[in-house]
Amino acid sequence: MKPIILLVFALFFSIPILNAQDFEYGQISNDDVILKNTRLDSNANAMVIREFGTARMRLDDASGRLFVDFQYHVRLKIFNKNGFEHGTITIPLRIRKEEDDRLVDLKATTINYADGNLTRTDLDRKKFYVEKLNKYTSLTKFTMPDLKDGSIIEYSYTIQSPYIFNFRRWEFQSDIPKMHSEYIAFIPAYYNYHTSLRGALKFTTENAEINNGCLNINGVMVNCSKMSYIIKNVPAFIEEDNMTAPSNFKSSINYELSDYMLTNGTKFNVTKSWKDVDRELLADHDFGQQMKKKEVFLPLLPQILKNTTDELSKAKAIYSYIEKNIKSNGFIGYSSENTIKKANELHSGNTGDINLALMAALSAAGLDAEAVILSTRANGAVGELYPVLSDFNYVVVKVNIAGQSYLLDASEPYLPFGLLPLECINGKGRVFSLTKPSYWHDLTANQKRSTRTILTGTLSPDGKMKGTLSTYSLGYAAVDKRERISRSTSVDDFVEKLDEQMPNIKITSHKIENLDSINNMLIETYEIETQGFDVSNPDQIFYNPFFINRTSTNPFNLNERTYPVDLGSAREDRIIMNIKMPENFILADKPKDIGIALPNAAGRYMAAIALDNSTLSVSQTLQLNKPIYEPDEYLSLKEFYSRIIQSQKTDILFKTK
Amino acid sequence: MIRNLIFLLVIFLGTPGFSQVQINYRTDNIPAELKNRANAVIRNMETTVDMRSPENVIITVKKVMTIFNDNGNKKGALVLFYDKNTAIKSVRGQTFNSFGMATGKFSLSDFIDQSAVDDGTLYGDYRVKAYLFNPISYPYTISYEYEIRNKQNLVIPDWYTNPDADVSVEKSSYTFISKPEDKVRIKEYNFKGNPEILKSEKFSSYTWKVQNISAYKPEPYAPVEDKYLAHVKIAPEQFTYYGHKGSYTNWEELGKWFYNDLIKTRQKLSPQTIQEVTELVKGISDDKEKARKIYDYVQKKTRYISVQIGIGGFQPFEAEEVHRSGYGDCKGLVNYTQSLLKAAGINSYYCLVYGSRTKQSFEPDFANIEGNHIILCIPSKTDTTWLECTSQESPFGYLGGFTDDRTVLACTENGGILLKTPTLTTQQNLLKRNAELTIDQEGNVTGKIKTDFSGSQYDNYAYLTHKSYTDQLKALKDEYDIDNINFSDFKLVQKKDDNPKATETVNLSIQKFASKTSSRVYLVPNAFNKSGTISELKNRTLPLYINRGYTDEDEIIYTIPEGYTIEIKPKDQEIRSPFGIYAVSIKQNGSKLYYTRKISINQGTYAPEKYAEYATFINRINQADHDKIVFKLN
Repeated sequence: MKPIILLVFALFFSIPILNAQDFEYGQISNDDVILKNTRLDSNANAMVIREFGTARMRLDDASGRLFVDFQYHVRLKIFNKNGFEHGTITIPLRIRKEEDDRLVDLKATTINYADGNLTRTDLDRKKFYVEKLNKYTSLTKFTMPDLKDGSIIEYSYTIQSPYIFNFRRWEFQSDIPKMHSEYIAFIPAYYNYHTSLRGALKFTTENAEINNGCLNINGVMVNCSKMSYIIKNVPAFIEEDNMTAPSNFKSSINYELSDYMLTNGTKFNVTKSWKDVDRELLADHDFGQQMKKKEVFLPLLPQILKNTTDELSKAKAIYSYIEKNIKSNGFIGYSSENTIKKANELHSGNTGDINLALMAALSAAGLDAEAVILSTRANGAVGELYPVLSDFNYVVVKVNIAGQSYLLDASEPYLPFGLLPLECINGKGRVFSLTKPSYWHDLTANQKRSTRTILTGTLSPDGKMKGTLSTYSLGYAAVDKRERISRSTSVDDFVEKLDEQMPNIKITSHKIENLDSINNMLIETYEIETQGFDVSNPDQIFYNPFFINRTSTNPFNLNERTYPVDLGSAREDRIIMNIKMPENFILADKPKDIGIALPNAAGRYMAAIALDNSTLSVSQTLQLNKPIYEPDEYLSLKEFYSRIIQSQKTDILFKTK
Repeated sequence: MIRNLIFLLVIFLGTPGFSQVQINYRTDNIPAELKNRANAVIRNMETTVDMRSPENVIITVKKVMTIFNDNGNKKGALVLFYDKNTAIKSVRGQTFNSFGMATGKFSLSDFIDQSAVDDGTLYGDYRVKAYLFNPISYPYTISYEYEIRNKQNLVIPDWYTNPDADVSVEKSSYTFISKPEDKVRIKEYNFKGNPEILKSEKFSSYTWKVQNISAYKPEPYAPVEDKYLAHVKIAPEQFTYYGHKGSYTNWEELGKWFYNDLIKTRQKLSPQTIQEVTELVKGISDDKEKARKIYDYVQKKTRYISVQIGIGGFQPFEAEEVHRSGYGDCKGLVNYTQSLLKAAGINSYYCLVYGSRTKQSFEPDFANIEGNHIILCIPSKTDTTWLECTSQESPFGYLGGFTDDRTVLACTENGGILLKTPTLTTQQNLLKRNAELTIDQEGNVTGKIKTDFSGSQYDNYAYLTHKSYTDQLKALKDEYDIDNINFSDFKLVQKKDDNPKATETVNLSIQKFASKTSSRVYLVPNAFNKSGTISELKNRTLPLYINRGYTDEDEIIYTIPEGYTIEIKPKDQEIRSPFGIYAVSIKQNGSKLYYTRKISINQGTYAPEKYAEYATFINRINQADHDKIVFKLN
């Protein structure tokens, strides 16, 4: 999707002159001076006293271009040294081909109170540093002078952005608490933006009114909607483990242009309905046009499809071809960056190049393939009410074979056919095909994160155990393991390191199967020797059978949880041990067999131990059946793991005859 | 931090290289011993430093490298740093498949260009151009050459024969060219052989060559790399450094130039500031007490912010500027503190140091611009004080593990002096913990802990000091990584005197800490301090190096409930080794169980063959730390 150029219409606008209710710069009240962090959150190192932002459109006379002017003003208090980091500010600006963002009217002041006097230190203009980060972004950075515990800092600036497609968004919530966060957006009546609110906080006040004549277009006074939002006493946003993007949970307001109108009443839809989006995207050079380019792969197909029979084997062959032949250049996106033809020639492209090439190749082979655009976990959730294309940042492929659909991403190594990277397991994606209207599709992992470990061994009377340890990994467990192995120079190096890391277990030989057959389970087989038992006292031989993948720490150690725990996929780990014991060993005591479950069959753990015919058998199964656990399930999860840890601490006691 | 050094080193460590001779780029004729443990091999590399004049040093690198796999691909990346005074003159390169057939070309326009300022730095003007080839199959070969111009010759990059463990070297050479009349000092480290020397009327050149160096396995507990990697250092006598000229042949001259040319002129204070200092120390007669007062003043007034502008990152901000803005980097803050001390009539030294947890010293016999950090020394015949000026928390006179026990260069008006910072000994680096825990019938534990941290361990909890109480309790859950542990009444008291000590007191409860079966209870008495394991290497080649000694003493007094009878208890033991001592014992007295554990590890360097013994020692400790007491239930 290209940014919409509105240059022509911009000429009709004149400069709006308006003043919103900003608070006065540098006018510190006594309340500000005596403010303590006990006011909102005694854990806060710094707090925003007041924050005000306003955004409006303006015509730039010099360039004849429309800008969104975003004015920002904040006053915050630093309570202690740990809050000093909030005294260093970085303002990112976009660099664009046509026109860069501009930063104007930047000023910053530190205000200290000592001995009954307020001292103000304005930041020297020479101390605003501009750094060109890369070709897309420049940073303006500054740090406040004369910071002390209790300093109040205040700064304000205006960003003039030619990028009006997304009206300036506002985050009410950040990593420090805010007493007052206020945003006013002036949206000209000729422009319609889809507005989406995120987060759980409620507005303290919300107001919409008509602001008369905020724009003069060709002599016609245009009204604006003046949208005001205030949230008071905003708590700090605290990130937790195993959660998707913080932006999904932070309270914020976001805009995307939906349509605009000319003064003569002609209306232009930008993103109105999915029907419009379908039409535009399919016509888009970087998206729909690339999806259709079957001719790129037609000549290659006979070679790729050699030895294939049915549709599934064809799809797998093509997936494997694209995965090996076009490597990621590190950039993601749902559109093609270089065209799939070029990407295929250069063997390099962004996710758009790679997966649209995959779709084109699958279509060329006569398979029913569709493109699925989605938002990665780091990028946040997508709104489903109406199309907000700028929410999406990734594309994968859905191929439908014999009534079954498979989601494919050829841009990441080690993913088996049909499994998306964990980063893509994030709500729903929108599916585009060449023949049907677009529709939503759930993004789920089609395989569990699963491992099965089998140990078969023999214990000799001196306490030494020899045996064979086999591990079968599937789903993300296999992806992770393959990645880990690939970080070693060779399989032998990997095993050598593994061996060295386990002082008590010696690996005497090894075999790793299916390392490169990523569609099959990864099988590791190790011959091991270990000093399993202390046999110095034959009456009391204690043995802990949980030495493989023991759960020794609880991954859920918080006392409370605010956001869902998102593991991405269900999980299952099984461990089965069969150890031939010396004939004279008798089982004297053992950990109780346990079977515990999470409510609603959301998870299960079972462990059973038996000595039968001199063979000790130990079996364990851990299942987490859901990819996502809600905050109210957190304490059950914690207790669940706790019980596992406790049971694994106890030993088997043997006596000898 | 001093940036130029770092970035010049990176160029060299990361990307030396060259090729004029006909090279067979086929990958199947690479000798097997160069493939072993290697992710990539440098087929041929030629590095030339041509010191045409002090203001014009041309560095040329030609390199041919074969990459075996994804891990090696990063080593094939061409990463060039530059700034106003370092210009990239030319770059070109080519890629080849495993048969040696050319597959592509690249030039500077294919590079990404971005800021090279790290996250910890507010501003710097250095940038990086980088090229990473994206191969579709391995192995492949990349060849490139580039030329960089430095407008200074104070820092001549060190040359390493084989800087990366996982990259083997088929052939590599280093040539240093200068005018015949130029005097340069050269020193080789761990290098076998001699350079080829050519002298003519127009130039003289030195060339070092190596070939067939295999990749090797990195080994844990190894000395700093400079102790075993072959490298060459070069220092010209006459130098120019961004408009500053000087000459040196030893530390004394270098330190003198450094102070007089770069530091001294930056120490002017306004009369008001001097007045403030005078007021501050009024009535104090003892110099050390004055210094303590001034240090405290600096800590309250300033914070560490890194801004790198101006000449190459060696010259500090003006002292008065730091006074006004309230921040600076290590140079700025040391220079500021030194200026204030001077205003109070106290002499101090601006000291260059290698700051890192791993100790690294300046070499007495080869003067050269080195280090990455600045500290301050207040000399005294009997009671020298060292100050870390970038910390707002450090006790007066405490350096901690970042700059302790190493040789540094004090830059003074009268000349540079090599000084040694204080050693924190095994006995000083003490953690002493006392806990009283009560176990109930269900195996739940409640009790309290008191822990003293001193010496280098004083810092263990430094990161906690300014966290909020809630966050401190959360952080403790990671410090004491025990399932179902909860804390209350946490206090951290820091005693910041000449022997700083931090004391933690906290109450805790652990649900089901002791596990029960129907007839038994299992308890790992070492609740809080378990040593990890270390790898048992098959063929140790490098000396064993223990960077810093320490002592941990834990005592836990358990009160056990009625009906718990000890069925099995771990043996009391004392393990002595050349590396230290470990002792553990459990005594019972009625319902009380006394668990004591002491470990003390000595710093030092030991022969490679001692490593196995060390691994056994540490892994035995790990086992003993996990030993269980088994109680029988009556």
